[in-house]
Amino acid sequence: MKIIAILKKNKLLTAVSLAYVILFIAIPDKAYLSVKNSMYYIIEMLQIMPVIFILTSIIEAWVPKEVIMKGFGEKAGIKGSVFSFLLGSFSAGPIYAAFPICKMLLKKGASIANIVIILSAWAVIKVPMLANEAKFLGVQFMGARWILTVIAIIIIAYLMTIFVKKKDIPVQAEQDIGKVTGIDIKEHYCIGCGLCEKLLPQHFEVIDKKAKWKESILNDVQIDELKPVIAKCPVKAIGFK
Amino acid sequence: MDIFTASLWGITGLTFIASLVKDKQKTFNSMKMAKGMMKNMVGQIVGILLLIGLILTFIPPEVIKSTLGESNTFISTIVSALAGSITLIPAFVAFPLVGSLVDAGASIVPAVAFLTTLTMVGLVTFPLEKREFGLKFATIRNIFSFVFAILIALAMGVIM
Repeated sequence: MKIIAILKKNKLLTAVSLAYVILFIAIPDKAYLSVKNSMYYIIEMLQIMPVIFILTSIIEAWVPKEVIMKGFGEKAGIKGSVFSFLLGSFSAGPIYAAFPICKMLLKKGASIANIVIILSAWAVIKVPMLANEAKFLGVQFMGARWILTVIAIIIIAYLMTIFVKKKDIPVQAEQDIGKVTGIDIKEHYCIGCGLCEKLLPQHFEVIDKKAKWKESILNDVQIDELKPVIAKCPVKAIGFK
Repeated sequence: MDIFTASLWGITGLTFIASLVKDKQKTFNSMKMAKGMMKNMVGQIVGILLLIGLILTFIPPEVIKSTLGESNTFISTIVSALAGSITLIPAFVAFPLVGSLVDAGASIVPAVAFLTTLTMVGLVTFPLEKREFGLKFATIRNIFSFVFAILIALAMGVIM
């Protein structure tokens, strides 16, 4: 059962490996040639992977995201937009990982334009990815695409403020702390980093790379304990319910 | 190793040492987090790299040139942008694939269109986006991103 789950999780790798097995039996010449053709890109990837890994870790450790997030608000002006670019560029993970963070910033008063900038920058102009792009497509290519993308993002952000107003965005009512019945973890956002488990192992457990809440009745003291963990979750996937 | 990669190693190495000296525990903690994120991608990375070999072996460069090359830019750009919108692979994995196609003679215009919509437009993540920000926001943002991805691609074609 476990093997099937692993194969299912790596559909692409499974399919490609299967193709190689068949190829090695049917036309070994072509199979060798394919491996040889891949080799160049595998070596390039091995050269850049450690750099990207370390860069991502360093950014994660030292870029003060909390400080950046405090710089938002309706009147933040140019500074707010620059911060939006920084926040998006120095974050890790796919675009949907940005959704809960943006939602939180909207609540704090960030403008629609800045939210669009964060989402777009988060998607396309992440710093470690730029290194990878320059590696495989050239520094010039990366630079030109970066400049054009930044310009496009600014225009998109401006256009969005014309078409979408704050009232178009759904808001969840603030949870009344007196009525908290438990913890809600948005699983599709959880990256399984294990921070919550490490901080409060009595409440959280990571199973299959997703944080799970250990069901229990919460008292006021525990709720106060949980608040900083909710704030610390890097993808803002934890909330009261 | 080319100069670019070598200098990246140098800069990253120095920053890493500085980070270790400043706070060892903090550095290790975030490495653990980054490791978790990379681990999820390894299968896809190896899959794509091996797929590149198959593509280069079985699809002759002439075919790549004629379908994704200069002669056919308009249609191939639109199709690439659409393909980028519906696929959900990390850009990290897409760069070597796109790089190999460009090396084999594909035009950079569809390549840029694919790379940009891949990350900025998300049909797969659309329901999530709609739930968090509403239908109007999600629809308009994705449409604008798609249009601008094509504009960026065309501009790249002029510059490069």
